[in-house]
Formats: sequence, structure tokens, C-alpha cells
Amino acid sequence: MSAYLDTRVSLFAGRLWRDEALDALVGAPDETVADTLTQRGLSQLAAGFINPADRQDSRSLEQRIIAQILDETQVLIRPLCGDARSFLTFWTARFEISNVKTLLRSKLTGERPAAVLARLTPMGIFGRLDNQDLAHAEDVGELLRRLEAGPYASIVRPARRAFEQSRDPFILDAALDHGYYEGLTLYAHPLENAVGAPFRSLMANLIDRINLVWLLRYRFNYGLPPAQVYYLLVGSRYSLPGTRLQELAALDSLDAVLAALPLPLQTQLAGVTDIPSVFARMEHAAAGQALRVLRSRAPDIARAFAYLILRERDLRAIRAVLRGRHLGLAEADIRMALHRAPARAA
Amino acid sequence: MLRAEPLNRIQLLMLASETQDAALALARFGVFNPAPCTLDALEETPAVAYREAWLEAEARLSKLLEQCGDTGPLSIPADAAAPALADLQELNAWLKDVWVACLACHESEAQIAEARSHLDALEETLAKLERLNVDLAHLLRTDSLLAVNIGSLPATGLRRLTEALAMTGHLVSRFDQIGEQVFAVIAGERNRHEEVRGLLTQAGWRELPVPDELRIHPQAARTWMGQERTRLNTQSGAACQIMDGLRERFGPRLHEARLRLALARPLAEAALAGVRGKGGLAALSGWVPKRQMGALHDTLDEHFHGRYWLHVREPSAREVSDVPSLVRYPGWLKPFVPLVKSYGIPRYGEFDPALPFAFTYLLLFGAMFGDIGHGAVILLLAAALYRRIGRMAWVGIAAGAASMLFGLLYGSVFGYEDLIEPVWLSPLHDPIRVLTLAVAFGVGFISFTLLANAYNKGVAGRVAEALFDSSGLAGLLFYLGAIGLLASFAGAADVAQLAAMLAGLGILVVAAYKWHEARAGLGERILVTVIETLETAINLFSNTLSFMRVAAFSLNHVALALAVFTLASGLDAAGHGFTLVLGNIVIIMLEGAIVAIQALRLMYYEGFSRFFSGDGREFVPLRLASQHAKI
Repeated sequence: MSAYLDTRVSLFAGRLWRDEALDALVGAPDETVADTLTQRGLSQLAAGFINPADRQDSRSLEQRIIAQILDETQVLIRPLCGDARSFLTFWTARFEISNVKTLLRSKLTGERPAAVLARLTPMGIFGRLDNQDLAHAEDVGELLRRLEAGPYASIVRPARRAFEQSRDPFILDAALDHGYYEGLTLYAHPLENAVGAPFRSLMANLIDRINLVWLLRYRFNYGLPPAQVYYLLVGSRYSLPGTRLQELAALDSLDAVLAALPLPLQTQLAGVTDIPSVFARMEHAAAGQALRVLRSRAPDIARAFAYLILRERDLRAIRAVLRGRHLGLAEADIRMALHRAPARAA
Repeated sequence: MLRAEPLNRIQLLMLASETQDAALALARFGVFNPAPCTLDALEETPAVAYREAWLEAEARLSKLLEQCGDTGPLSIPADAAAPALADLQELNAWLKDVWVACLACHESEAQIAEARSHLDALEETLAKLERLNVDLAHLLRTDSLLAVNIGSLPATGLRRLTEALAMTGHLVSRFDQIGEQVFAVIAGERNRHEEVRGLLTQAGWRELPVPDELRIHPQAARTWMGQERTRLNTQSGAACQIMDGLRERFGPRLHEARLRLALARPLAEAALAGVRGKGGLAALSGWVPKRQMGALHDTLDEHFHGRYWLHVREPSAREVSDVPSLVRYPGWLKPFVPLVKSYGIPRYGEFDPALPFAFTYLLLFGAMFGDIGHGAVILLLAAALYRRIGRMAWVGIAAGAASMLFGLLYGSVFGYEDLIEPVWLSPLHDPIRVLTLAVAFGVGFISFTLLANAYNKGVAGRVAEALFDSSGLAGLLFYLGAIGLLASFAGAADVAQLAAMLAGLGILVVAAYKWHEARAGLGERILVTVIETLETAINLFSNTLSFMRVAAFSLNHVALALAVFTLASGLDAAGHGFTLVLGNIVIIMLEGAIVAIQALRLMYYEGFSRFFSGDGREFVPLRLASQHAKI
């Protein structure tokens, strides 16, 4: 089983995009883009690049990217069982939580069920919700109660209570995100003990980044009080544990927060002046770590998770390139939007 | 031989205002399978709004019916018309109003349940505080420096909230938990209370309504709580009355809504395939059996009196893979059809394997599990389960009968080989003959599959494949020649020369065809030809030998029975009887299941995979909800 997954991950790893390849895609002539994507196993994206009027599949670029990730995850979880399988399955659930948010927003704005159904991401075998039924809920209240009777009850229940008090969509979204990542850390916990440092390092990079970026956004973009900001962060056992997050949330400027970070993070974020750059710098560091895990002899689940992190990052970058091209943006602007490092080691 | 009925592709053009009636008429007609409309000139999709309204109304109706129960059987009058879009939208709006009222009742019930649980918690708090001899009035004073809140929150958030509140100098004390809800007291400086308001909202904190009486006098508080409970009970009763009265108030109208939605279903379903239109015109496309064209014209004339235009054509060679298969099976064969369809649907025009499947499956099952007693038990068991498993029980009944028939031929009754004389042969006493017969059956079966494949390829227009490929007539020539050659060597026949010529000719033709089909360089072409030709020979013979399992299982059946008898013979009378009964149950359950699966496996992998692509489309006609299957 391990040999199968290791081999499968190694084969998949060959599909990852180097920065040069991505750079070439930015400047490639239109007629070669579909071929380039197909050659790299992205036939679903290639089909989407062809003239929309000619294609039979009406899925959006975002939906195609997620379908690609789900297809690959499906292949990777095939030989897995127990905690490892549960973790990767829950890793895909964030797309379904995103569908939940779309459904909730549609009820807040009174969008037609048919219109919102077309925007939902098809989850394939990972789907646990009856989207048809949910889309036909009469209002947010009915939708939340239906969701609460489903597989995401533990995530939705606190969100419903919070929303009923405030009727604030921000509070609803924040509660759902918080609930999902709290759940992810619970799924990761037994694997961190069993698999050890390589897997833990991937989770640490993910949760630390989420916590720091959320902290900065909630504190300085939305102006929330420190206690509420702390409440919205994910319980962490990594570089930024609860006590450190409490201290950081109490600070009153971005610079002060960055200065109070642990030394490795301070070094990583040296010279950063805004929140998107914090995200990009931390994501780049996380990708570097994921690449090291992928190339190491780490346990198979750690390598599989590292691959999925890198693949998703690649696909988001490709989405940015394709969108940029579609909007007719200058190549320089697309490259800037990518926030990728000049080049990754081969 | 069973074959899919010849179909015609129709395109029905009519007034857009009559589309729903056309779809309803086609649903009543019963044999119209909708398909995407290909008229490019009609670029609008007029039925999309209709389908959306129908889906919304259907969802609301099913939720309402869930609340008020079934409104009785639905009978659709023969002359009832389908609702127009405006009528459907009006019905949808009414269903929305009723459901929203229901939802308000639900919401109110949920709030009352929550208020009751809060009241319980408050009562408990009061009891605890009384025991502690705490001056409540002082504690809850609104003008004190200390702000005290009593309330509840989801249990999962308690730890996080405690940590977050600690950042503002607040304390949290949990005093009860009911289900997922934790009840707690929060205390902190009053001047920092505003700071935590957002946090408490985010945490889903619900304040317990603490009355003034509680602040002043505990005894008065108890009276207040009693009054509050009575109020909640009254409220709950009022809410329930609305829910209870749902069927009485709206029952007939909900039944009417069911009827109208059933009448609207055909167009809503057809819209999924794609109804196109432009201006005042709309077009429905689909497939109809050729022999029903006259009836279709009559139906359309009766409903639309010439206000339509019907274009009919035969399916083109290019679209054969999109044409659905409509096969009319005789009633006795229908129970076997799901077993064939679990492998796949035959393509339009392909040979349908249901009939040979039924015979061969029963033959294989009977041959592998031949026993009068065990067969009778299976037959009776299947008959007893008829109500639960429906017509699939007939497969069990037929398999039991086949097993009994072979039991008679083998002379086997509940494993006893000496109670009756075998009519034909006893597998235990003549195993070589049984093996030979099994292989001979395999040869016949594989020859049949090669012929069926050649037929299917020929029908699909792939004549070269039908004639020259390894699974076509050339492969059959080679196979029969090679079998003749082997039979001659074994002394069972004397056709060596002719057989060698046939086998040689067959394999040469196959090799030449493979060579012709290989699109590669010279070296690769040689390699592909040699390997694929060799594989043809190996596959055909390994598949033939696979049928030896039929003999092996018939021997296995006897051997298992012998093992049971041997075990039983060493025990006393009670143990002997118990072992025999248990042993026979095990044989029926375990071996019966294995043989059923093995027979299916032989059919699927040695049979179907050779000639049956299984990627056809099923003919799914538009139907009315109450319509019974006509096909």
C-alpha cells in the first residue's frame, strides 16, 4: 500500500509546475495554451480555455480546478485507510464548506435556486450534502437548520447561534471557517503523533499562516477587539500557540505584531509591509517546506499531503494566468499577481 | 432473438404556449424519450423557467406533505391539461406562502424549546445560588461595578471563550450542560462590558432572561418561572395548532397542487434534455419507436388539430451511440434483466444478451449446485421472500428449480448420493466425463460469444473487425480449428488436417488484420502483431479452461456433503442430526452464494466482455407520475 502511494505521489510530482513553465504560460500564444495544459494532465482546464461557445461543459474555471484537485485526491486516498484517509477526505471538505457559504449567501440575497446550483462546485464522491435540497430551502434559518441535521453539524451549529444573534454575514463566514480549521487540526492530531515531524511541519505552516493572516485582517482591516480576534483564531500547537496569539492580538499595529513574532517567522517576514505580502511570503515558505517533504523519504501520507498543497498552489497560479489572459492584462501584471519566487530549485 | 426496437428521431415544432400540453401528450403517449434539440435556428430555451418553477414548487410541496402527511392516492384525469408557466408560478408562490407560515411555526417551536431549556437552567442556578446563600439582588445589580451575565453557548466554544474573555479580565464559570449547550455565568468589569459584546455574539452566547423578581426575591422568582412556563406552553399550543390544522386547512388544495405538479412534470423533465424555441415557437426532440409513428400522429392530431410540424428521420450512423435502446422483454425474462443491466446497457442495434443469459445462468447454476433437496430449499426460500424482493424472487425460484433438475440428473438429495439412482451421471463417480462436458460447454459458449460479437460489429458498420479480428469470424475459425486439432490428438475426432487448415487460416487472417491496424514503426508493428496474435490464442484457451470450474463446483458440492457426513458420523444421535442440519444450511448459504457468484462471473467475464460493450443508453420515456410501466 505504502509502495503504491509513494509511487503514485512520485508520478504526480512530475506534474508540478516550475516557475519557468508558469512564466512561459504567461507569454505563450493563445493557440498553444490548451496543448500545454493537456500535456500537463490538465485536460479539464484545457477544455475550458477553448472558446466557451464551442464547449459543451459549462463549468467555470474555478470548478474545473477543484474537479482536478478532487480527481487527484481520489486517486491518492484509494490505498489509504483510518486516520490518513479521514484527514485527506476532510481536507477536501473545505470546498464543500465553500459551497455552504455560497448557499447561505444566496439565501441572504434571495438568489434563485437554479442560479446558485450552477455556481456550486460539484464534489463528486466527496460530496456529503444534498445541494438540490439545500438550495431549495426557503431562507437562511431553514438552510442552517437543514445543515445542522447533516454531516457538518459541529461546524454549522455554532455558526447558526452566532448568526441568529447578529444577522451579520461576516460572523457567519468567520464561524464556518473557524469551525472547519478547528476540525482539520483535530483530524491532523493523531497523524502528527503517528507520522511525526514531516506531517507536523506541513500542518504548522498551514495553521500558523491562517492564524497570522486572520489575526492581521480581523484586527487591522475589520477593527475587531483583541478578545474577539483571538476567539476567531484556530487553536494551535505550532509556532504561534494560544498565549502568543493572545499577546499578538493585543498589539495595535501591523509592525508591532510582526516585531513580536518568534524569530524564524520574523526572519521570514522581514521587510513585509502589508497583509497580502505576509500571506504570499508565508505561502512561499510553506511551499518550499512541502517540496522538501515531497522529495524526502517521509511517510506516504505526509508526501501525499505535501503534493496536494503544492498542486493546489500551482492550479491557483494557473487560474491567475488564465484569468489574466482572459481579461487582457499585461504580462507584467499577471506575473506580479502570481507572487511566486523567481524560481524554484529543480 | 431480442433486439432493440428500431427508433425514429423526431422534432416536434409547435406554439410555445402549447409546449407543456405537448410534453404532457407525449408523456401520456408513453414511448417518447426526450433528447437535446439540434435546431440551431432556435436559440432560446423556453422551458428553463418552467423547470425552475416546477423544481421549486415540487421541493416546497414535498416539505409540506412531510409535515401534514400524504393527501391520498393521486389519480390524473385523462383530460386534465398541464399548467402554463404563469399558473405554475402562481402555484409556486402559494406553496411558498404556506411553507413560510409552517417554517415560522417550526422556528417558534425551536425558540420555545430553547426558552424552556433556559428556564430549566435558570431554575437550577437559582437553587444552587440559594444553597450558597449568595445575595442575588446584590450580584445582579445593574448599577454595580461588576457586570454579571447568565447564559448559554455551544459546548465546543467554552474553552476558547474563557481564554478570550480572560484577555479582558472577565471570568467564566460553567454550571450546567444540556446536550451540546453549556450554561455559564460571566463576570467582569462593567466598563469593559461593551468590549466583549461582539465576542459573545461570535461565540453564540445566549443571555438568560433574568427577571427583576429574581434580583429581589427568590420566592417571587419561582412564581415568575411558573408563569413563564405556562406562557411557553400556551405559545407552543398555539404554534402546534397551526401545524395541526395544516391538513384540514390546505389538504384539498395541496392535493390539487400535487395533481398540477404531476401534470407539469413532463415538460420539466423534457427541459432537462433541452427544449429549444424562438419567439412564439418551441421544439421538442427525442426518440420514438418506428412502429408507433402512426399512433404518434394520431395523438398529436387529437390534441393540436394540425397546429404542429413533425420532422421524422432515422438515426444516422454517426449518432448510433446516442440512440437509446428500447427492448421489450417477455414477462418471464424481466427478473433477469437487472442482472444483465448491472453489467451495462446494450447499444442500439446490438444483440441483447438477456435471453441467452437467463438460460445459461440457470444451466451453470444447476450444473454446479445440482441437488434436489438444496434446490427445493432455495426455491421455497425465494418464494417466501417474494413480497420482500419482488420479481427478483423468480431468479431464485428458477435457480432452485434448475438445481433440483440437475439433482435429479446427478441422483443427489441433500448430499446423499445413494437415495435415488442418477438419471444421467454422478459427478463423484465420473469426474472426467463431467470435466470434459464442462470444457465442451465452454467451447460452445465461447463460439457463441464470438458469433455475437461479429454480429454486433457488423451491425455497427465495423465489418472488417467483424470478419478479421481476433474476436470476430477469423478468431472463431482459428478457435474451432484449434479445438478440432486438439480433439483429434486426444482421439475424440479425426479431423486433424481440416482443423489444422482452419486454425492456420484463422490465425493468419487475425495476424494480417493486426498488422494492418497497428499504426507504428516496423519493429513495433512486428512486436504488436506477434504479441496480440499470441494473446488471442492464449486468451481463448484460458477462457475455455475457465469452464472447468463448472465441473469442479459440482464435485465440490458432493465433497462438502461428504465432509458433513463424516463429521456427523462420529457423534451421537442428537449431535448427528444437529451436524447434518447445520452442515446443509452451511452448504446452501455458503456454496449456494459462491456458485451464484461464479455463474455470474462466467457470464460477465467469459461471455459479455467478449461481445457486449454495455455502454448503450437506456430508453427512458417521459411519464406521468401515476403511469404504470408500459414497457
